[in-house]
Amino acid sequence: MSDPINIRTLAPGTRIALADGAVAEIVSNPADGVWLFARYLESPRDPALVGQEEMIFAGDVVEVRQAP
Amino acid sequence: MGTARTTGYHPGLVDLASGQISREIFVNDEIYAEEQERIFARAWLFVGHASQIPNPGDYVMSGMGEEAVILCRDRAGAVHVFLNSCRHRGMKVCRYDEGNTSVFTCPYHGWSYGTDGRLVGVPYFREAYHSKLDRSRWGLVEVAQMCNYKGAIFATWDAQAPSFPEYLGDFTRYLDLQLDGWDGREGQAELLCGVQKWLVPCNWKFPAENFSGDTYHNISHRSVDLAGIGPSGSSRRDLGERNVSRKLHVCIPDRGHQTILYVMPQGRETPVAYQNAPIVSEYFAHCEAEKRRLLGEGARLIGAPGEIFPNTALLSRQPRTMAVWHPRGPNQTECWRYYFVDKDAPHEVKEFLRDYYIRYSGPAGMTEQDDMENWNYAHAASRGTIARRHPYTYEQGIGTAVRDYEFEGMRVPGDVIDITEIQSSEQPMRNLYRRWAQFMEADDWEQLATWRHNERAAAAE
Repeated sequence: MSDPINIRTLAPGTRIALADGAVAEIVSNPADGVWLFARYLESPRDPALVGQEEMIFAGDVVEVRQAP
Repeated sequence: MGTARTTGYHPGLVDLASGQISREIFVNDEIYAEEQERIFARAWLFVGHASQIPNPGDYVMSGMGEEAVILCRDRAGAVHVFLNSCRHRGMKVCRYDEGNTSVFTCPYHGWSYGTDGRLVGVPYFREAYHSKLDRSRWGLVEVAQMCNYKGAIFATWDAQAPSFPEYLGDFTRYLDLQLDGWDGREGQAELLCGVQKWLVPCNWKFPAENFSGDTYHNISHRSVDLAGIGPSGSSRRDLGERNVSRKLHVCIPDRGHQTILYVMPQGRETPVAYQNAPIVSEYFAHCEAEKRRLLGEGARLIGAPGEIFPNTALLSRQPRTMAVWHPRGPNQTECWRYYFVDKDAPHEVKEFLRDYYIRYSGPAGMTEQDDMENWNYAHAASRGTIARRHPYTYEQGIGTAVRDYEFEGMRVPGDVIDITEIQSSEQPMRNLYRRWAQFMEADDWEQLATWRHNERAAAAE
């Protein structure tokens, strides 16, 4: 299990990797430390999610990747 | 008294014929518990003011009875009142007094709700719930009815309750005096500063009956009058019209609302006030003239302390405030006081009034301190076994109220006692406790909407 990431500090535009292998880009951050609003860029498990915006749970964020 | 009851409040504990009311209704644990179900879960309650949440995503904490609620404006601009409790395990989903947000997130397990109350985030929804939880069923609990009346937000948990205007009945004009502008324009009130909140060790009905129109306790404020905290450096208030008006106790018997009211003589102008601050004095003189031009005869009515059943207090003249007496157990009340000004009043006027309001009201206000002292010790001295055996008396003015009073062409609906010369009556308190007993005994709003029965009977005749 990876170290927990403090998602409260993540800015919109930041890319994050998720536990199921997906990659998403943060759209907005309510700064509650629990949720992010993000758009899927890659989703090997469910390709239909690509392009969709969803709430991402803090426990699902496993890595922070800088925006390209 | 040992167990909860749904009968015998009237006349057993509330004997209006003799004007005697048992101390039990103020100190008894079981009666207090019944009040939460039979009064606070059914009546319309004041939650806050729209000026507290001007922008989408704005929210403030409030309360309805013992329930913590969120007053918020959703992203589309609609106002909501939600129970501040997660549907999963009950944790408060918001623990700030006020702010702006896109979601309310429960810190316990992470369930998250939009500002429209919808459940939008469930951790491990796909994994743990296998995408089967019906999120549409688990949004925040919303009040059954809400009313934005000229910016004042009232709500009830009871879907069967009458609409808020029907609940007010003939009392509407007195809430109008609170919320309309000093110049008579509709809905000009806005909240000045924050809400003051403090605890008093007394039952919530002590302040409720006090603000129903207790003029008998003026002796308590003698020291404040002598100190001259009013805005012209004399007495408590600065209302010269009090000296030329008829002073009334006005009660709306079917509703349980009551107030003090001043009615100016026909053709009489309001005396000059605020002599210590010329800009304020000129502003109010201008507003009074505008009000007479806009409202005509209606400008003769001048508001004073009053109470919307059960726990919302009005003070529509000066200091212009509203208060809510939140029950916190039979022996404690959390007082919330809201301060109002006209939203387009000059800055200097608002600043002057802010100082005056603080000096007068709230936990550090000189007048409110007098009241708290009385309620605190009256309650404490009524809790003992011996004390409970002896009822309070509310006999002043029994049988002297007139129906639909009139003064120089101004008709005042309700049960009215002119107290200009007699100084005091206890009609407002009897009106309050009559309604209290009705709520405690009635099973539903079919019984509580007594005015509908009267209207049906009149139609049948």
